[in-house]
Amino acid sequence: MSNKKRYSIEQKQAKWGLLFTVPCVLFFAVFCFYPIISAFVTSLTDAKILSKTREFVGLKNYIYLFTKENGGFSLYNSIRATFVFTLGTFIPMVIVSLIISVLLMQLRKPSHRGFFQIAFYMPAVLSSVVAAAIWMILFDPRGLFNQFSNFIMFTSGKDFGWLVNTKMLQASTMIVYFWKYIGYFVILFITGLASIPSSLYEAAIVDGSTKWHTFWRITLPLLKPTVLLVSVMAMLQCLKTFSTQYMFHQGGAGRQPIDVITMNIYFTGIRNGRIARASAMSIILFVIMLLLTLLQFKVSNSDDVEY
Amino acid sequence: MKKILLTMLVILMIVPSFVFAQGEKEDENVTIEFWTHEDANRQKLEDRYISEFIETHPNVSVNVTRQSSTKMIELVQTAFAAGEGPTIFNLSINDEYPFMAAEVVAPVDFKAAGYTSKDSLVDSYVAGMLDPVVIDGEIYGLPLELTNWCIYVNKNVFRDAGLNPDTDYPKTWEEMFEVSKKLVVREGEILTRRGYDFRYPYYLESMVPMVEQLGGSLFSEDGTEAIVGEEGWIGWLTYMQKWGPNGENLGSPTYKNARKLFNSNNNDISMATTGLYQQARINHDNPDFYNSDDWMVVPYPKFENAVKDVAACYYGHYYMVNDSENDATKKAAWQLIGYMLSHGEEYLTNVNIIQPTKALMNSDTYHNMPFSEVFTTDFERGHVVYFGANSTEIQNLIRNAVEGVMLQNVEPAQAYRQLKNSVQELIDEE
Repeated sequence: MSNKKRYSIEQKQAKWGLLFTVPCVLFFAVFCFYPIISAFVTSLTDAKILSKTREFVGLKNYIYLFTKENGGFSLYNSIRATFVFTLGTFIPMVIVSLIISVLLMQLRKPSHRGFFQIAFYMPAVLSSVVAAAIWMILFDPRGLFNQFSNFIMFTSGKDFGWLVNTKMLQASTMIVYFWKYIGYFVILFITGLASIPSSLYEAAIVDGSTKWHTFWRITLPLLKPTVLLVSVMAMLQCLKTFSTQYMFHQGGAGRQPIDVITMNIYFTGIRNGRIARASAMSIILFVIMLLLTLLQFKVSNSDDVEY
Repeated sequence: MKKILLTMLVILMIVPSFVFAQGEKEDENVTIEFWTHEDANRQKLEDRYISEFIETHPNVSVNVTRQSSTKMIELVQTAFAAGEGPTIFNLSINDEYPFMAAEVVAPVDFKAAGYTSKDSLVDSYVAGMLDPVVIDGEIYGLPLELTNWCIYVNKNVFRDAGLNPDTDYPKTWEEMFEVSKKLVVREGEILTRRGYDFRYPYYLESMVPMVEQLGGSLFSEDGTEAIVGEEGWIGWLTYMQKWGPNGENLGSPTYKNARKLFNSNNNDISMATTGLYQQARINHDNPDFYNSDDWMVVPYPKFENAVKDVAACYYGHYYMVNDSENDATKKAAWQLIGYMLSHGEEYLTNVNIIQPTKALMNSDTYHNMPFSEVFTTDFERGHVVYFGANSTEIQNLIRNAVEGVMLQNVEPAQAYRQLKNSVQELIDEE
């Protein structure tokens, strides 16, 4: 009688699954979990970027951030700037990328669809810094965007203050982000749309459904998991925005209107050397992102879609 | 027997490694990471000095990293924070001081740098020039350059606007305002030519003196109160607001750096604030313009109702050495710095930067430089830029106040109060 232990097929599959998962878990442990824990530990100290020693100060940095001005650049202003940017960018981005992807799916020739997909996706390949630098030239009073604004507003020689006026400056950072990432989310939606069986559309046509009706009754409900994925990804990306705001500020634009949390973290931690306070801010940002993601999952109540 | 032989063999193997270890240290291979800001003229010189140094010190290799001066500030900070700071670096003193305060840079090895004693090192520099890098009697840096800023004037633009540059150049900030109004060219609201524009990111060097002229100051004499002299600060912020896009629209921090445009002589800027080094850069970028009689340098203006005559602050870029390097590397680093800085006259003639040694400041080479007397006179009117453990933060806060009044149309009084509270919070925290 053999003592060799017998495994079921499920158990064997689970072992292989575990094996394939381990590298990913290790990667996350080293590059995600460790930095988060390290940032949290640092946030409980008085560490400065050049200091050789650090002392435990408990929640002092968190209390400071919620009660003081952080040297003129308060956390509250950064939360406001981040929320304004996120709401102004991710909602239009999800809606417009969905519309574009549905329109692209209507194109009959795959080559035409491919061309537009590449065209929309191209800005996503550009580095954020390069994209911001290009747009700064476009937003210059003598730049193309200001001229275009004059053209559509039937004005001449008007400086719309894209990098100057508080509201215009916020809008300009949104435009850059929207332009850069719209193609990425279009691709995600197209992937979701392609997975909907064509038989459902054929049946709808036979039943005399209009295109509008088909979109609301078939496409959108079946696309719900993709919509959730895209909206969560877009929201998280917007909450983490940094390079556009940083480059614009480096180019002379005011900091207060676009002082998103990540930029405040950078200035507090790197430029001002207050790494413990910056770590506390990054933990607060992490908690905000976590809560908003959970909220989104809760609101969308996404179940698996079965065709 | 076997055991004895084995023990002897082991001893024979181990002993030489201890005996010869000391001897090897002298010729130990040393790698110097040298980080400095970009300057095409200086790069040529320093690349040559480095290769000459390596020829005489074959055990030394030098890796040079050059970046823009603003980028270099954050690169050096993050590198030190990660424990990977460069062996040699230079920044403006207000950005370098925090490294000294944090005790991460090494005191000058004066012998390696080519001096017989600390006194001879101090004695070779103009009085006070090493003060910013002295803490508790130890010297932590050697000056690559000492710079003050005056106003460069493009005479062509003046003539084009119907002005006489030799008589109409601005002597006061009020005249600067009026002359600039005559010099600007606009297409509708859009500026296509500016008369003058400020040196925006450098508020401590170029704009705090304007406040001082009006009776304000960064700190009270005892250092306990920040942003002193409400009238002076609000007066200056009001001036800046009138200058900006929401005022008379004469310039803005969002426009391209005036100093960089100046060299091209493209009829888009008439005046810029910059140092003696600009001359070498004009010569490099536009030799025809440099060799023409179409530019000149005039003193830093003052307000008509100034209570104090102050010119732009002077600042130093000091070469410093990372204290975490081993002794051999630190010694080689100071040797290299000493070797490079022994060519003060060449730095002055080729790069137009001043190393404030007594010998150089009294030399004919310096006195024969175009407009050097303007810089010398303004140097005497000015003082060293504020430096301290939080100088970078203070500069950012002043920047925020200026951007507020110029771009976001914040009331100068409100911007002043916010600035005062923020800087006060900083010094109270210290």
